[in-house]
Amino acid sequence: MKRESSSEENEINKKLKEIVIARINARMSPNLKLSMGASGSLDKGEMIEHVLKGDELGNQIIKVHLNFMKAQSTGELTKALNTLA
Amino acid sequence: MKKGVIITLPQSDDVTEYLVAFFNPILDEISKYGIIVKLLRKEEVTRANFENTIKSYDYNAVFFNGHGDIDCITGHKQEEIILAGENESLLLGRIIYARSCWAAEGLGKSIIGRDNSGCFIGFNIPFMFLYDVTRISNPIKDHIAEIFFETANMAPLSIIKGKTSGEAHESSKNAMLKSIRKALLKKDKDSEAIAEALWNNYSGQVLLGNPEATL
Repeated sequence: MKRESSSEENEINKKLKEIVIARINARMSPNLKLSMGASGSLDKGEMIEHVLKGDELGNQIIKVHLNFMKAQSTGELTKALNTLA
Repeated sequence: MKKGVIITLPQSDDVTEYLVAFFNPILDEISKYGIIVKLLRKEEVTRANFENTIKSYDYNAVFFNGHGDIDCITGHKQEEIILAGENESLLLGRIIYARSCWAAEGLGKSIIGRDNSGCFIGFNIPFMFLYDVTRISNPIKDHIAEIFFETANMAPLSIIKGKTSGEAHESSKNAMLKSIRKALLKKDKDSEAIAEALWNNYSGQVLLGNPEATL
């Protein structure tokens, strides 16, 4: 059972990375870079590399995508935008 | 403490070049409002120099531009100029704005945990911005980066204009929301990426301590 859940987890992580990479590919011009402070500035290709590696920067990028997706799907973003005059 | 602002402006890599380029409009405003200011630029932003400056000028506000981590904010070539547990007491009771990654999470909490008469406006996650590599030699012409800095600038700008720290924090967060809405309505290729990075900054900007602090 433990092995099965670990394998499922790996599959979910793999799918999650695929979603984030698809989002980066679809929504960022090649002339743009993302600055993440002292960790560096990354172009589209470098962002994808870090996501694939699953290193600290890659995980931070995934978190940013997840937070935004969560805000959109839970209505948190709409609620915040509705507070504007 | 005297009324005035110490501002750090290190310029030792692309990121700090952008931080400084987009902080210049605030410097223009400061002169309009007659606020006394002490600037630490480039190689002047060392720990020793920062410590001497804050001790001798004793101004009640400090605006940091620079890299950061949970426990520190850095200056020229990423030298740690303020570090939790070492020299954080220099900031107690002051109005602090830190455009630095993570610093609110450890350093900010530590300062405000010791004295909540002052405030700390900063980020508990990495401050992010997108920029156009074709504009890197002249950041101020980068209209993508501008979106991130104009919104973040609202906090220090509001403090300069005499608003409370709470109003300054809200003003900046509202500006971020307005820019998110504008980006999403625009629906061009980069809109979602801009909105997403702005949402990161919106979610991560916090005000710790006294929301009524004023310059």
